[in-house]
Amino acid sequence: MNAADHVFRPRLNAARRAEGLVFWLFRSATYLILACGGAVFLNIVYKGAGTVFTTSAPFVNTTFLTEAPESLYVFEFEGKKYEMGDREFRAFKETHPAAAKVKTESYVYSAGGIWPCIVGTVLLVVGSMTIALFLGVCAAIYLTEYAKDGAFIRFVRLAILNLAGVPSIVFGLFGFGMFVIFFGWNVSLLAGWFTLAFMVLPVVITASEESLKSVPKGFREGSLALGATKWQTIRSNVLPYALPGILTSSILGIARVAGETAPIMFTAAYVVRDKLPWDVERAGDFFFQGVMALPYHIYVVSSKIPQNDYTERVQYGTAFVFLGIVALIATASILLRTRLRNRYKW
Amino acid sequence: MVTSRSAAMDSPASAPVPGQAASAAAPGRPLRTAVQPASAAPAVAAAPAGATLIDIRNLDFFYGESQALKDISLAIEDHKVTAFIGPSGCGKSTLLRCLNRMNDLIEGTRVARGTIKIHGVDIYQDDVDVIELRKRVGMVFQKSNPFPKSIYENITYGLRLQGVKDKARLDEIVEKALRGAALWDEVKDRLDASGLGLSGGQQQRLCIARAIAVEPEVILMDEPCSALDPVATAKIEELIQELRTRYTIVIVTHNMQQAARCSDRTAFFYLGKLIEYADTRDIFTNPGNPQTEAYVSGRFG
Amino acid sequence: MNAPVPPAAASGPDRAAAFAIRKKRVKLLGLTVDDCIKSFFGGNALVSIVVLTLITYFLVREGAGFFGQNRQNLQVYRQAGLEYVDFIRVQADDHTALTRYLSDLRLRSLRHLTETKGRSLDDANAALAPFDEFAGKFGDAVEPVRGIVSELTEVATAIKTKFIVNEDKKEERRQLLAEGKKTEADAVAITPVDFAAELKPLLGALPAYKDANREFTAKLTAVLAAPPALPAPELEQRLQRFTALARDYLATFPAVERNLEAWDFRQPVPATQSFTAFIFGRQWLTASFWQDWYGIIPLFVGSLLVSLVALTLAVPLGVGAAIYINQIASLREQKLVKPAIEFIAAIPSVVLGFFGIAVLGQALRLLSQQSWLSWVPGFPYSERLNILTAGCLLALIAVPTIFTLAEDALNNVPRAFKEASFALGASRLQTTLKIIVPASLSGIISAVLLGLGRVIGETMVVLLCAGNRIAIPDFTQGLAFVTEPVHTMTGIIAQEMGEVVRGSIHYRALFMVGLVLFVVSLLINFAAQKIVRRYRISIG
Repeated sequence: MNAADHVFRPRLNAARRAEGLVFWLFRSATYLILACGGAVFLNIVYKGAGTVFTTSAPFVNTTFLTEAPESLYVFEFEGKKYEMGDREFRAFKETHPAAAKVKTESYVYSAGGIWPCIVGTVLLVVGSMTIALFLGVCAAIYLTEYAKDGAFIRFVRLAILNLAGVPSIVFGLFGFGMFVIFFGWNVSLLAGWFTLAFMVLPVVITASEESLKSVPKGFREGSLALGATKWQTIRSNVLPYALPGILTSSILGIARVAGETAPIMFTAAYVVRDKLPWDVERAGDFFFQGVMALPYHIYVVSSKIPQNDYTERVQYGTAFVFLGIVALIATASILLRTRLRNRYKW
Repeated sequence: MVTSRSAAMDSPASAPVPGQAASAAAPGRPLRTAVQPASAAPAVAAAPAGATLIDIRNLDFFYGESQALKDISLAIEDHKVTAFIGPSGCGKSTLLRCLNRMNDLIEGTRVARGTIKIHGVDIYQDDVDVIELRKRVGMVFQKSNPFPKSIYENITYGLRLQGVKDKARLDEIVEKALRGAALWDEVKDRLDASGLGLSGGQQQRLCIARAIAVEPEVILMDEPCSALDPVATAKIEELIQELRTRYTIVIVTHNMQQAARCSDRTAFFYLGKLIEYADTRDIFTNPGNPQTEAYVSGRFG
Repeated sequence: MNAPVPPAAASGPDRAAAFAIRKKRVKLLGLTVDDCIKSFFGGNALVSIVVLTLITYFLVREGAGFFGQNRQNLQVYRQAGLEYVDFIRVQADDHTALTRYLSDLRLRSLRHLTETKGRSLDDANAALAPFDEFAGKFGDAVEPVRGIVSELTEVATAIKTKFIVNEDKKEERRQLLAEGKKTEADAVAITPVDFAAELKPLLGALPAYKDANREFTAKLTAVLAAPPALPAPELEQRLQRFTALARDYLATFPAVERNLEAWDFRQPVPATQSFTAFIFGRQWLTASFWQDWYGIIPLFVGSLLVSLVALTLAVPLGVGAAIYINQIASLREQKLVKPAIEFIAAIPSVVLGFFGIAVLGQALRLLSQQSWLSWVPGFPYSERLNILTAGCLLALIAVPTIFTLAEDALNNVPRAFKEASFALGASRLQTTLKIIVPASLSGIISAVLLGLGRVIGETMVVLLCAGNRIAIPDFTQGLAFVTEPVHTMTGIIAQEMGEVVRGSIHYRALFMVGLVLFVVSLLINFAAQKIVRRYRISIG
């Protein structure tokens, strides 16, 4: 008898082939998803990089990153074609009086940069995450350390679960109704902070709870058995070890806060604002001013101005910078989490 | 049924507790006197070593609906090592955790009946400060649980909580506690190293040092050697022998040899009941209850 | 602080005295410091409940006035005679729909003649002359009725304008009075609108309408009696269908007249109608010169269709990928793919929306115009932004949610199940499909539901890519509806909220839409939780 022809020899029958086919289908589904995500990402990186980076030193388009948006004027003058931002064009008209009468095409927001949007987004993220982390960590401490199973806790958990499912635009409406109108804060940083903070609260609570739970029970018991009060135990023997985890998982919340447009549309974002946030007369006004924000700016430039070669630069550039920031945050979160998992093993 | 007896004739102040007196007086059984002070008043506690320190009476304890301890009455003597033995799930750990109210941390637990008095103070009274209680009744856990801090910080943790800030005093106590736990020579050069870097036996001794640093009167040990190798176990047992001169020790163990080696008194539990409580020597050589005999001779459990 | 006393050194009574474990802590309003700390944290846990309550409260607070205002809106619609005119207008509009059917039929005939029969264009047009005459006559027949509609429209609009001017004056006076300017307030002259008198010309036009209608009926009947011949049986069939439709249409005429006769402007609008007009209303029409309608159905259907298209794409992909990663992929592949999909989840929706506008919309349209794809329903199409574009992008948003949750569910299946199945000689595919997937089915279903919740609440993608045409898509062509533009609940709020007057009926209507959205999302969440809970029990 042939050595290879034993009873356990693999046979290629119909069932085997079907198995291979089905697995192959599942595999293509997986890679199709990645391909789609990759396509979006690459398209924006490819086209946006042209706006943000330059071929000559310093290799970064500083104008785009550090100036406010302006209108772009395109015109022909003395046989040459010019493209100019608003301020530049005015200066040009002063030096060339003849240019005042020239026929121009103008595109709003298509010149200058997006500096105020970057500033606004950073302010919104920092403020709302501060609020959300404070509320979320405190709530999680209660849920993991103090709460005894009961109707109240079940109700709180139900509320957190449901809050997580509320559409962001509903948070926007709520923030508009409560902060902007009822509290009279108008369209302001403060209104945006609270709206975004409440939206991201479930993420922060869940992340914090998980981190707190991963601190071994022995730390708590050991401390309590030495006569520490509950709060002393939490402060010196639970929180310090949970904090890195809390912060890392909350970064994903940051990505969500930075990426959302709908909640800030009516609560914090302005289409255009000349002043930077720190140009306020009184310090108190700082909190009650609206800001420009990257996501809202993308919405504005992609829906309110026509698509052509002149506007494409600012559209893709903004999307690239925004995607870059969010991707950076997300990557940081993913990497930190893996490292953290490897480091803390008690 | 509780069979309570004592080998040496004890203080004249002791008088039988009603429930125990009834069982002790049961016919057909050698009469053994219970060791119980008649009153828990502090004045009576001025008895020499061997007097009752912890007085547990008719204790019923529940986890939710299931009863974990059934009518336990037990007197733990001052400056002695008392071992709780019995098959797993017999309630010995539960009783131990009752003594410093660590069970409060578990939801749904309650003392349904009975009292636990230490120095005559009922520790389950509403006006008892659990924190103060735990400072005076220390505990060492089954799994060693040093905090992820330095050895020095582990020891001083409890003292710092009490507000001791004087560096010289802390240094002195750290050395004393580590010497007390027979760990000083091994770690004196690396007090700033993490407690988690020690070996299993060392970690457990660190936990003991941590517990004695706050100078408790009682140290509760919940199977302190169950995760250790024989060498480390021997060291801990040696340590227990040294500690008995200064502390009252209650130790839960599933290892009968260990109980035999290092305890003065032994209580045998089975299915939430105290079956027998007597001098260790008697339990292992001359058990009064057939169940005890079966257990210590290895026929079940 | 108690200095630690070496116990062995102290004598009995001292030790007992030192064993002071009774409470002696600082109390604040009967609470110890620890109690205060606990309540502080408890208060923070309460925030989530409070926020949920506040969301409900503010949506209701801002939206509640809607029903009152809408009732008044409907009341004016009746009192000013707009409703009356609309009876006739609907008749005329239905006629327009029929003529559109005829022009479609002509196009098909022409194509048949030129492409199938190979005739020249002039030749074909000449052959269709009888048809054109038929269509022309059919189209012209409506003229008298249309004339009456436009006359009456003017009358009704005038009445409504008068009423609105009056309301404005009332408001002005109220404000003046509130400011304490009584003389100025008295100077604002208000003459109440006498609807009965104003409506006379409208009601007086009934005989004229009846005449026009009779003429209209006669003409149509005559035209329909002699349908022209068409070159193919398939086209003949369509013509027959047309005549049947037209006869049905004719049969509605008496009803129109009856409606007009029975109409009474004094009849009050019931309170429930303002509610049903919102929930079942098939029109969302704002800032119109004629009549504003706030019906949520087109928006709701839009949201639903876009979400369904997204789920149709996302569920097989997401669940398939979850099965692949959990059961089949190597450990290295897992470590690469999982973060990558999490990464996709982090792409902000507004960026996806922008991608849809800039690239995907155009790309899909080009694809639809490929001749080898013309068999796909709805292809080729010309609207770049439509259900399909938005659905594809939303699928990319739903996939990470579905993937992650489904993967979790698969992960929760006890190893023992898998091992037992392998031990019985089952293949990997059999184990996966017959043991693992059924055991985690409820988890997967709830993942899909949560994906639906995520998609239906998504704003920016649909706002940018769904086309924003407020209309219920035409379902008669089957799946082709996916190539039509729609508007959505989330989109309408985002688009119109910034432009409405605070406190106006439109403003309140948007809050009502928000409330509906809120309730829908809660229901979806509830269902998902219910399913997950049942699943937990089944695993035991």
